[in-house]
Formats: sequence, structure tokens, C-alpha cells
Amino acid sequence: MSNILEIKNLSVSFASDGIKERAIAVNGVDIDIPQGRTVGLVGESGCGKSVTSLAVMGLLADNGRVEGGEAMFGGQDLLKLPDRELRRIRGNRISMIFQEPMTSLNPVITAGKQVAEALRLHAGLDAAAAKARTIEIFEKVGIPEPERRFGCYPHQLSGGLRQRVMIGMAMVMKPDLLIADEPTTALDVSIEAQILRLMRDLQRESGTSILMITHNLGVVAELCDEVYVMYAGEVVERADVMTLFSQCAHPYTRGLMASLPRMTPKGRRLYNIQGTVPNLRAMPAGCRFSPRCEFARERCKTEKPPLVDVGNGHLCRCFEPRTTPIAWGGDGL
Amino acid sequence: MVKHIAKRVIVTIPVLLGMVLVIFFMLNVVPGDPVTVMMREHLKEDLIDRLRQSMHLDDPFFVRYFRYIWDALHGDLGVSWKLNRPVTGLIANAFPCTLKLAVASSVFSWIMGIPVGIISAVKKNSLVDHLSMGVSLFGVSMPIFWVALILQNMFKNVLPVSGIESWKSYILPTIVLGWSSAGRIARLTRSNLLEVLRNDYIRTARSKGLSPLRVITGHALKNALIPVVTVMAIQISSLLSGAAITESVFAIPGVGSLAVSAIKNRDMPLLQGTVIFTAVLIIAGNLVADALYSAIDPRIRVE
Ligand SMILES: Nc1ncnc2c1ncn2[C@@H]1O[C@H](COP(=O)(O)OP(=O)(O)O)[C@@H](O)[C@H]1O
Ligand SMILES: [Mg+2]
Repeated sequence: MSNILEIKNLSVSFASDGIKERAIAVNGVDIDIPQGRTVGLVGESGCGKSVTSLAVMGLLADNGRVEGGEAMFGGQDLLKLPDRELRRIRGNRISMIFQEPMTSLNPVITAGKQVAEALRLHAGLDAAAAKARTIEIFEKVGIPEPERRFGCYPHQLSGGLRQRVMIGMAMVMKPDLLIADEPTTALDVSIEAQILRLMRDLQRESGTSILMITHNLGVVAELCDEVYVMYAGEVVERADVMTLFSQCAHPYTRGLMASLPRMTPKGRRLYNIQGTVPNLRAMPAGCRFSPRCEFARERCKTEKPPLVDVGNGHLCRCFEPRTTPIAWGGDGL
Repeated sequence: MVKHIAKRVIVTIPVLLGMVLVIFFMLNVVPGDPVTVMMREHLKEDLIDRLRQSMHLDDPFFVRYFRYIWDALHGDLGVSWKLNRPVTGLIANAFPCTLKLAVASSVFSWIMGIPVGIISAVKKNSLVDHLSMGVSLFGVSMPIFWVALILQNMFKNVLPVSGIESWKSYILPTIVLGWSSAGRIARLTRSNLLEVLRNDYIRTARSKGLSPLRVITGHALKNALIPVVTVMAIQISSLLSGAAITESVFAIPGVGSLAVSAIKNRDMPLLQGTVIFTAVLIIAGNLVADALYSAIDPRIRVE
């Protein structure tokens, strides 16, 4: 199966005021997104998921810089493409949805216009045709009374409706790839379920590949075919979704699994990985997870483990990958 | 929307009345009786009393206040003690000069201030940015009379520097007045635009594939200029009420000069008239700013 996007060895750094050394936020990340599939990118907040996707889209903040790597899309390296050509891909062949539906839409422009804008830009439609197409897509993403909603300002819409507008905006050009950065994190659980169902339906219909960024393993289970787990700016595990949930091998992934709320014979329990994500400027030598890892050995603290295949394309960055199946409902990791 | 504005207009009525009361009171406790002002010295006591009576100066304060309001509502602001002509007519005669100067300097300040602010924001921390912000700060912080004198000296051989001869007479005062407004607008535009550009919706606009120029013109400017427009409305209303210093320095016979001469001559009706005229304009300017704000910002609009 061919890949729609291949990110190879991507590194991104940020400058900060008063400090000469740049902070490395993403360090040698490889991610392949197969045609028509949904790939999850998970990890705690701050581990570099958003930065990875923004770098691919050329949307890094002013102080950010791609240090190396490539992002092959349709035979072109997005990271080397001049801005002019990248703009023809953005919003057209690759589009994005962001976490905050409250702030991701322009407050002084009507919802309809913000969607129609993409149609006018990429499909060259005139105002009337773009409006008609926008109302169609509003209907498709489940916005009731689409004609009226076309003229609504974002503050007149609920969070769920705004995210539907964002999805409409992202899907209106039938992109080859949709990057969804925590699209449901800010929404209620019931709205989240609706939005996820909508994304799945749209994908089935249009064949769009999705990169689903989330820190919610429930969303991964719901939607994804394959999963990449990031920790401190690096990929630490990659597996198909079945393998991940049945026998993930990295202690970090196991910790994430264990911290899912679930029912056990002893009642409801929550596990937390000890400690926090390390500071970008104070990365531990050796394995970056070692200070928080309950299985860490001396070697882990000095030597950096490579990302190795532990079977059938299941990759894991650990000297001693776990091999026991995960005991769902039990106590063990 | 209309209702919202109507409500604001009604609210201003007591404000206006109270303001007139304060002005009326202050100018009435100031020593300096019109009769002594007009006749200077050497007047017989009984003549003074007769004159005072004919001018109703011995009536109780509130009677005079309400008479003043009543007359003002009929367009009568009294008669200038010094010039012996109706105040309304004097202001009406002086207003065209002030209007031209206000419009010219406002337009100048918008044309200079907004683009400079935008360019400075887009090219943040570049030489252009530092230079234009320096010039703006200079315009904002230098005393107007000082700038006026410097410009008069620099251009005295090329441009008229005193009185109104032709449209050229407006050039220097326009620059003097417009410069400080332009500086304020440029700095405000720049800081608002920089603030707006940090918003999530700007990233959304970029992710749509819009060019940097269209992101600015289509998505950032409207948000950034909302506060600027309201400042502009208030600014022009205060310019309309007469720029006393600039008009005096350039000897422009506008409302500002009128007010200055009223102060010099202790001409109470004229002073009262110009002060109230100014206050009404500023209140109107605030109303317009308010209406503009709700017209361009959909979040303010009352449903
Ligand atoms: N504009 C920026 N300037 C400096 N540091 C940044 C910037 N954007 C992100 N970072 C840093 O990069 C790291 C990864 O952030 P991000 O990709 O947003 O995490 P997440 O996985 O939660 O999406 C964080 O440590 C964050 O502080
Ligand atoms: Mg993020």
C-alpha cells in the first residue's frame, strides 16, 4: 500500500528570547501515513505532536525552524517547497482541524464566509457558487438550518457546531490528507462521539487519509488503524491498533494504557505515570523516558535505545520491550 | 441596533444637562461682571444697576440656568460681551476653518498612521519598524506649539505660516495636528495587529492556503482596526471642536481661536458657548464611536 505522506527524520527547534541555544522540540521523527487510513499520534501534552504537524504544513510559529528531515507528499518534499506552492496544497490537498473550536474561527467573519473562502481560493468559484457549495457541506457535516447558519458569526454557534464548521472547512476541497489536532479535546463526551462518527463517515465517503493527533486513547481505539506514540519529541512506539491495545511493548505506552479509567474487580482505579515530561533544554541522557520508567536499568540512563522492530512492523524504542499481553481488567501493566 | 443607539442618545441627555450646569456654575462664580467688562471703569452706580437688571444678572442662579438652556435649545447662546454679536453666529462663522483643518488633519493621520502601523507590525523589529515607531513617538510626545514653531521656521519661505490665504495655509497646521494623531494611530494599529496575529484563527486562515497578504487584509485587519476606528471617531470630534493651540499659533480664525480670545477678554457668553459646543461634539463623537463599534464588531451587536 502506498503512503500519502512520509515524514522522515523530522527535527524542529525553537528559539527563545535571551537564550542562544535553540530548544529541540521534535527530534528525528518518522511517520508514514498510508493512503486512506487513519493514523493516530498520541502522547502526553507537550511531547511534540502539534509541532510535528505544523512543521509539515509550514505553519510553525516565527521562532520555530525545521532543522532537518523531509515530508514526502505526492513526490514532493513539503519542507523544501516554496511557500507559494505549499499554499496551493494547504487547505486543498492537505487540511487541518485544530483543538479549540472557540478560538479557531475568526470572530468577525461569518462561519459561511470562512468556509466559502477556501472554495473561492482553491476551486475558483464565484461568491454565489461558493455559498451554494458551503451550504451543501454544512448540511453534510450535520449543521441544522445550513442556510441560516451560513450567515452566523462564530459566537452565535455552540462548540460542537463550530467544530462541525471547522470540519466542513477542512473537508470541502476533499483533501487527500486531513490533520486533526485534538479535534474533540475541548468538547463534551457526547458531542465528541458525534464528531468522531462524522469524521469516520466523511472518511469512508471521500477516502481521505487522517492523521489523528490526540492524547486520548479512547479516540485512538475508536478511529485509528495505526498508532504512533511520541514521548519528549521522539517516536517511542509504532503499532497497528490491535497490537497496541493487546501488547504494546514500551513502558511509556503501557503507562498510558494503565492510566485509562477502567473497571477492575477492586473497583474503579486510575494509574498515573510518575513525574512529568522533561524540559526541552534538559533532556535526560540515554533513554528520555528512563527517569520515569519503573523498569529502567543503568544502561537506559546512559545509552539511547534505537527504534527497533519487535515483530511485524511493530516498532519500539526500548532495550527491554515488554512482551506480556496487557491484562485488561487486571492490575498489571 | 437602532434601539441600542437610541438608548445611548437618551442616556446622554442628563449628561449634557449636568455638564452645562457645571460649566455655567464655574463661569458664574469667576469674578468679572459683564457690565464692568463692557464699560470698564468710571460708571455711575445706578447705571450699573440698571444694566445689570436689563441683562437679568440679578436673577437667581437656577432661573438663569434654565433660561440659558431654553435659549440654547432655540439656537441662542447669548451675545458676546466683547464683540456684541450673537455667540451662535460667531461659532458658525468660525466653524468652517476648524472643520477644514479637522478633516484634513484626520485624513492625514489615517493615511499616514494606519499603513505605517501595518507595515511596522508585519516587519516587526526591522529598521522600518524602529524608524516609523520613533517618528510616531516623536509626534505623540512633542508639544504641539513647539512642533508648530519649528515647522513655521523651516517652511516660512515656501508656505504661508499665518492666517488663511489659500488652501496652502492649511498644510502646516494639518501636519502639526495630524502628526501626533498619526503617531497615536500608528502605534495602536501596530500593537493591535501584532496581538491579533497571535490568535488561533490566523493559523486557521493560513492553513486554508491564504497568502500572507490576504491573511492580513482579510482576517487580521478587521479585528485589529476595531479599537482604532473608535479612537479615530473620538479624535476627529475633539479636533472639530477646535484645536486651540494650533489655531492660535497659525492665526487661523477657527473655534479654537474664538475660545482663546474669549478667555483673554473674559467674554463669558462666548466662552460658555465654545465650551458647550466642544462638549457636545465630544459626546457626539463618543456616540458615533459606539455606533461604529457595534456596526463593525458582530460580538457587540445587540440582537
Ligand atoms: N512557538 C513555540 N516556541 C517555543 N516552544 C514551543 C513553541 N511551540 C511549541 N513549543 C514547545 O514544543 C514542545 C512540543 O509542543 P507541542 O507540539 O505543542 O506539544 P503537544 O504534543 O501537546 O501538541 C513543547 O515543549 C512546547 O513548549
Ligand atoms: Mg498539541
